[in-house]
Amino acid sequence: VSEARSTDPDEGGTRGEPIRVMVVDDHEVWRHGIRADLEGSGVGVVVAEAADGGEAIEAAREAMPDVVLMDLQLPTVSGTEATRQIVEESPHVRVLVLSVSGEEADVLEAMKAGATGYLLKSSTAGEVTDGVRRVALGEPVFTPSLAGLVLQEFRRLSSRDPSEPGLTARENEVLRLVAKGYVYREIAERLFISVKTVQNHVQNILSKLQLHRRYELMRYAIQKGLDRGPE
Amino acid sequence: MHEGRQAFESEPERARRTLSGGVLLFRWVSFVWMALLNLASTEPFRRPLLAWAGIGAAGLWTAWLTSSRSRRRRDRPVTLAVDLALSATLVLISGLVVQPDQVIGGPRLFYATAYPLSTALAWGSAYGLAGALESAVVLGAALALSRAVNGISPASLDRGQILSLVNGIVNYLLAGGVAGVVSRHLDRSAVQLRAAVDDSIRSRERAARLDQHRSMARAIHDSVLQALAFISKRGSELASASPVDPAQVADLAELAGREERELRALILREPEDAPAGAASLRAALEALARAVARLPVTVSSMGPIWVPARLAETVAAAVGQALDNVVEHAGATRAAVFADVQDGWVEVSVRDDGEGFTYSEDRLRLEGKAGMLESMKGRIEDLGGRMRVHTAPGAGTEVEFRVPVRPEEAPRE
Repeated sequence: VSEARSTDPDEGGTRGEPIRVMVVDDHEVWRHGIRADLEGSGVGVVVAEAADGGEAIEAAREAMPDVVLMDLQLPTVSGTEATRQIVEESPHVRVLVLSVSGEEADVLEAMKAGATGYLLKSSTAGEVTDGVRRVALGEPVFTPSLAGLVLQEFRRLSSRDPSEPGLTARENEVLRLVAKGYVYREIAERLFISVKTVQNHVQNILSKLQLHRRYELMRYAIQKGLDRGPE
Repeated sequence: MHEGRQAFESEPERARRTLSGGVLLFRWVSFVWMALLNLASTEPFRRPLLAWAGIGAAGLWTAWLTSSRSRRRRDRPVTLAVDLALSATLVLISGLVVQPDQVIGGPRLFYATAYPLSTALAWGSAYGLAGALESAVVLGAALALSRAVNGISPASLDRGQILSLVNGIVNYLLAGGVAGVVSRHLDRSAVQLRAAVDDSIRSRERAARLDQHRSMARAIHDSVLQALAFISKRGSELASASPVDPAQVADLAELAGREERELRALILREPEDAPAGAASLRAALEALARAVARLPVTVSSMGPIWVPARLAETVAAAVGQALDNVVEHAGATRAAVFADVQDGWVEVSVRDDGEGFTYSEDRLRLEGKAGMLESMKGRIEDLGGRMRVHTAPGAGTEVEFRVPVRPEEAPRE
C-alpha cells in the first residue's frame, strides 16, 4: 500500500515524512475523500482503511499506522471499543476521532478509552490534515465542545468524590478557555505562559481523564473481588 | 396515563368518600335508635313477627352495607334500589305492625323512625337533587299508604294528622336535598379539578413535543442535511461529468441509504424531559448557531442548562445580537458560544477569531456605533446581569454575559 515510503515507521511524522494514517469509517466516499485530502497535502499517506471496528483492530496490527482517523458509529465493534483495543495493543498509536456533532457523549468515552483528539466531520480538509499532524506529535486536539464535555466530566467526578484527583486551578482555566473557542496560542498570550505549557496542561488534563477511567475500572474490579472475597 | 389518573384521588373525591361514610354512620345511629324505641315501647305489636323481621332486615342490611368495603358497591343502582325498597317497606309495614289508628299520635312512637332518612341521604348523595326528590316521593307515598293500611281513611285525616304526614315527607326531602346539594358541589369541583389537571398534563405534553421537535430538528440538521447537501452537490457534479463513473454513483446511493437509516434511528429517539416552566439555554443557543449561515458557530454548553423561559429568551436575544455583530463587522472565520451555570449565575460567552478592536464605549458612542452594544447591555442588565467585552486589535473579540438564574434572589458576587 505504501510503496511511496521507505522510512522506519517509528519515525513517522516527526521529520517531515508523510504520517502513516489508517482511516476507519463505514462510508467509502468519506474514506476516499480523506485519502485525497491527506495525500494531496503531503502530510500523510493512508496505509489502511477499515469499514468497521473489528476490521480496524485487525488492520491496525498489520499496517502499524501512526495515526488512526476513527469514526464512532461503526457496525460490529464500536469506534470507542476499537480505540480502546488499538491503544492497548499499541500505545504509540494516536487516535483522532472524527465524528458528527451530537455524538459528544460517545466522543468523551472514546477520549477516556485512549483517543488523543477529536474533530467534527464538518471540519475543512486543512483542519483535518492539521489535526493529523498535531496528534502524530502527541498533542491533544480538543474542539470547544469536547473541552466543555471534559470540564463537565471533571465537575461530575469532583462532586461525587472531592478527594479524587481533579483539575488544578490552572488546568481548569485552560480547559475553560478551550471551551470558549480560544486556540492554544491565544490561551498562552492571555495567561502569559508559553504555548508548550498550554499543551502540557491539556496533555495532563487528558491523562487525568484517562486515569480516572482506569481508577473506575480498578475500583470496580476490587469491589467485585471483595464481594466474592472471604466466603 | 389512565392508570395514573385512577390512582390520583382529588380533594373533592376524598370529600365524597367522607360524605358516603357519614351517611353510613347516620344509618347505624338511626337503626340503633329504631331498635331501642321499639324495645322500650309499652304498647304491644299487632304483628310482632313482622315487626321484628322488619327491624332485623334493617339491621342485616346496614351490616351488609358496612361490610361491603368498596364505596362503589354501596353506590350501585341495585344497592340503592334495594335500600329504597327496604325503607319504603319499613314505612309501609309500620301501618301493619302497630295497633289500628296508632300510626299517628298513639303511645307508640313511629315504628320506622329515622331509618328511611338514611335512604334519602344515600339517594341524594348518589343522584343529587333529582335522586333526593325520587326517594322522597317513594318514601312519602309509603308514608301515606301506611295510614291507609293502618285503617285510617284519607277522608278522616284531621289537620294535625295531615301536618304530621307532610312533615314526614318534608323531612325526607330535606335530608336528600342537603346530601344532593353537597354531592353536586363535589361533583362540580371534581370535574373542574380534573379539567385543570388535564390541562396541565396537556401543556406539559405539548412542551415535551416541542422539545422533541427541536432536538430532532437539531439532529437532522447535523447529520442528514449535511449528507443531503453533499449528495446534491456530488450528484450535479457527476451529471456534468462524462463519462460518469458508476462506482461513484453507487457510492452516492449508498450514502443516501445510510442517511435514511440514520434518520429512522433519530425518529425513534426519546426526547429530553424539560422541568415545568423551564427552557434549555443550550437548545436556544444551538438554534441561534444554526441560523448563522456565513461562518461556522460551535456551541459548548455545560449540560442543557434549564432556566426560566424568559431568561433563556432574553439571553438568546443578546447572544443573537453578538453573533450578528461578528458576522457583520468582525471579519472572523469562526465563532464559539460557551455557556455555563455555577453558583446561581449563568455565564455565556461569544468569542470570534476576527480582527478585534480597541474597546471604548465612549468612542463607539461618538462614532454612533454604540446602538447594538447598548441594546445588548440593556437586555442583560434588565435581568440583573452584566456584560463585558474582551478584545484587542488582532486578538478577536469575546463578549461575556453574566446573569443570575433567579434575578429576585441574585447571590452577591
